[in-house]
Amino acid sequence: MLIIFIPTAWAVENILPGNDFFPGWKKAGRSSTFIKADLFNYIDGGAELFIEFGFEKLTIQRYTKDTSEIKLEIYVMEGPESALGIYLMKSGQETPWPEIPARNSSVISQFTILKGKHFILVNNFGADQTLRPAMVALAKAVLDFVSDERVLSGVLERLPKNGLLPGSERLFRGPVALQPIFTFGEGDILELRGKTFGALADYRESSGAVFSRLVIPYPDKKQALSAYQHLQVNLDPYLKIIQRQENKFAFMDYRGKFGVVEIKESVLEIRINLNSHPRD
Amino acid sequence: MAKKGYKSLKNHNLIDRRDFLKIGGATSAGFFLGNRFMSSRETGQNSPAQKTPPPRPKTNLEDALKVPKTKYSLPGPFPGKVVEVSDPKAMPDGKPNARVIQAMFEKGIGELTGKGLKESFGLFFTKDDVVGIKVNPVGAGLISTRLEVVDAVIGWLSSNGISRQNIIIWDRFDYMLKDAGFTAERYPGIGIEGLQTMDEAAAEGKTQDNSRWLNRDGVHVSAPNFDQDVYYWVDVEGPKDLAYLNQHVFNGKYSYFGKLLTKKMTKIINVPVFKNSGNAISMATKNIGYGSVCNTNRLHRPLFLDVCVEVPAFPVLRDKLVLNITDGLRAQYDGGPEPAAKFSYLYNTLFFATDPFALDIVCHNILVEKRKSMNVSVNEHPRFREYLHYAQRLGLGFTDADKLKRIRA
Repeated sequence: MLIIFIPTAWAVENILPGNDFFPGWKKAGRSSTFIKADLFNYIDGGAELFIEFGFEKLTIQRYTKDTSEIKLEIYVMEGPESALGIYLMKSGQETPWPEIPARNSSVISQFTILKGKHFILVNNFGADQTLRPAMVALAKAVLDFVSDERVLSGVLERLPKNGLLPGSERLFRGPVALQPIFTFGEGDILELRGKTFGALADYRESSGAVFSRLVIPYPDKKQALSAYQHLQVNLDPYLKIIQRQENKFAFMDYRGKFGVVEIKESVLEIRINLNSHPRD
Repeated sequence: MAKKGYKSLKNHNLIDRRDFLKIGGATSAGFFLGNRFMSSRETGQNSPAQKTPPPRPKTNLEDALKVPKTKYSLPGPFPGKVVEVSDPKAMPDGKPNARVIQAMFEKGIGELTGKGLKESFGLFFTKDDVVGIKVNPVGAGLISTRLEVVDAVIGWLSSNGISRQNIIIWDRFDYMLKDAGFTAERYPGIGIEGLQTMDEAAAEGKTQDNSRWLNRDGVHVSAPNFDQDVYYWVDVEGPKDLAYLNQHVFNGKYSYFGKLLTKKMTKIINVPVFKNSGNAISMATKNIGYGSVCNTNRLHRPLFLDVCVEVPAFPVLRDKLVLNITDGLRAQYDGGPEPAAKFSYLYNTLFFATDPFALDIVCHNILVEKRKSMNVSVNEHPRFREYLHYAQRLGLGFTDADKLKRIRA
């Protein structure tokens, strides 16, 4: 992975916009900060995902004008790929607003923004349409001071392009991010160890059927083989192995759909939600 | 996002109902508690090369199941019945319309019981009851229990003779109630009580001063709020650090019920919200299961969704939880359990049931369809709903499709 660093060394507290970032808007109280050890005190049930992807720090500041409120949340992640992983999980189908000068997926109630190793939320829980200019101004004020470390090459690039459904790409680095996708087994079933990123996306076959493909490039062949064997032995009890070959095995899931796990050198490739038995 | 004192969905294993039947339809709780992991193996689903998952930790659930039921015990007088009341005028411009919500409440109770409000009251309460209203204050401003729904409940109880001082709005954490608008000023005469406090500054690492939550004997100041004679015991220790103790009051193998439940409240109305928790839901049974006891974080990994069944199996809940109203005026289909505005939507619906497990499985299925319609990845592994069928096996509710009666009003 190649990363460009643009050295803008600001502490997160220093990039919090002050009063009057937009006319009449003031900070409401002090900012709050959370680190890895106490993030779960802030996010009910969501901390594990951030920590799995590589969470470092969260800073929160509320801003008010009259009875209106905007809440700013700035998550600093280990690196841009970690922030991208969170962004893809949290943004849903991307709905970018062009006036926000960074990758974003926005609706009036919430801007979800990615820049460098920062994942930023601008919340307007009341979905008050009149707050849009102030929300955009707040986002711009933060983004002016956020460094832009870009991932130029990453695991997402390993996903084959043919048939890929745009917007379905996701990253994962452990079981929490995998949970919404598929249950392969308990714990760190793919032995990602909180370090190895995998990528997945949905694909449309020529028949029109949709399946999902996961690609995990391990650091070396030994780790890939270990993960492959671990997965076979600890495969979820609801998955039945129906075929084994030297470098791959196929299974049937609890809905009667099929999956294939294949090891190619240091890369594990998994296809799931297949409608028919992959007999090749 | 709002603060909340417990953690997210963790891995857990549950036997498929079909597997349970295949192994003989055991009637003893002890049998299936001890063998749920093994059972799916015995059906020959997998190759011998696959490992058997670790055993489930022991609990004291059997003690709870030995206690005879009362006429108020779960699943209540309407097992399997779920009433759904929708009105597109409930949330104009995203703001609750109290008049419409009151009408929805009246219709929902009427459809559930087949009686008017006054007669319905008599099915669940007497005038001497002390009624607790369990809300979900997480996600204040977006997805917490709407005050207008609670207003309708209080109005019903008051108009039928329960004094305001015998009505208590409660949650596990006191500070969250305030954040969500449940204050003495908003509800004069009504009790507003949290089972415990937590020092947020200490939890956030802003202070090393623990004196606001820890007394000189090293005991949490909220420890007296929990009844050490009434507990859910699980053979899993809680972490021994101060951060955990601050948040969870105790850190041994016991999750004590709040004295509010064991000593004060005689009936409970559960008013959760309609939202997801990963692939599962965080609605009626999670609101009551994780909201009634302390020291819960230790339970997530080994038991997570089972806690939503086993805690309500104890008489202190089983015999007092008489009504569940899921607030789906605004719902959330993804990003939960923390509030995520992007995935919230106006649903303008209230659900009514005496049977929280029937209610949750109906809502689970609705949410899965919503997630699919919004192109959200859905992992439909049985483990995310099997706990609800487990409740049926314990006799706490009905969850099989042929036993459910869903009524749309």
